[in-house]
Amino acid sequence: MGVMTNLPPFWTLVEQHGDELLGHARRLSGDDAEDVLQDSLLKALRYYDRLERADHLRAWLYRVVTTTAFDHTAARQRRPKPVERVPEKHTTDGVYDGAFDALIELVSEQARIALSLRFVEDLSYDEIARRLGCSNEAARQRVSSAVRSLRRRIDETVA
Amino acid sequence: MKLSPEFLEKLAGAAIAEGLADAVYTKVPTPIGTLLVATTEKGVCRVSFEDEREDRVLAEMALVLGPRVLASDKALRDVRDAFEAYFEEGPHTFDLPVDLSLVHSPFRKKVLQRLRKVRSGTVVTYGGLAEKAGNPRAARAAGTACATNPVPLIVPCHRVVPSSGGVGSYGLGGPRVKQLLLDLEGAKVAPR
Repeated sequence: MGVMTNLPPFWTLVEQHGDELLGHARRLSGDDAEDVLQDSLLKALRYYDRLERADHLRAWLYRVVTTTAFDHTAARQRRPKPVERVPEKHTTDGVYDGAFDALIELVSEQARIALSLRFVEDLSYDEIARRLGCSNEAARQRVSSAVRSLRRRIDETVA
Repeated sequence: MKLSPEFLEKLAGAAIAEGLADAVYTKVPTPIGTLLVATTEKGVCRVSFEDEREDRVLAEMALVLGPRVLASDKALRDVRDAFEAYFEEGPHTFDLPVDLSLVHSPFRKKVLQRLRKVRSGTVVTYGGLAEKAGNPRAARAAGTACATNPVPLIVPCHRVVPSSGGVGSYGLGGPRVKQLLLDLEGAKVAPR
């Protein structure tokens, strides 16, 4: 129970941040955005009453969406062709299995920094620009080229 | 980009099926305004009227019942039907299960449990209700129990009237609404 932490009602968070989280999911996962967001919010709910802090909840939700989006992408890439037999395997549903960290290992350090500033720390492009000491435009370019390079590496890894 | 009602119902449905809801609420339009009705696994825990601030109502539920508070019209269809029937089909006593977790004092809880047995079309005085709850001298405390009743209509505090006559006070929209509910139920109240 959240008696000690005074967490807001979960639905209030969904109403406040749901639309922007859908936008975030769409940027990461395109057409799969709604599925990714469903999974993300369920995942968040599984942990919600055990959170020890009631601050930074928006940033926390962004992180959950980010990791879920990357897990989805990885799972989709791993999906076998229909004719192949798949061995039974337990899924770690609801447990973050480190897939995001493993994935960003694939790209250069510079790309990794850009990705975590944008998707883990959930900073605006102005804030990212300040951190990296570059222009807003350059910050956008770095993040989008990092995303592209990550996509490429995932494709290569799975192929 | 906006979340659709279907998206939200799907999310709430999956969460409830997985046992992830501490409480679920819905909003029900009625002739006395839009009511917010919330349930736990045990029963209806809260009915609030438009003039109560929704954020406070939900925050109190999150604090006492747990923060996993969700909204769903679908999951609470039975509850919605019961309210619709109450206002459309006339005299009626809700037979929905009730969860009095939001009542903190044991005596108030006892008063509200006894009050559930007061049927539609009848009334009881505050003193009479206190007596039923085991303390005939606690009319004032019975009044407080009614005034802080978290589940009005279902626990019918509108059927409790002062011994001096008239309908007395009422939280949900004031004495006018109390009179309207008693008229709807066909209850006779002595004039002041």
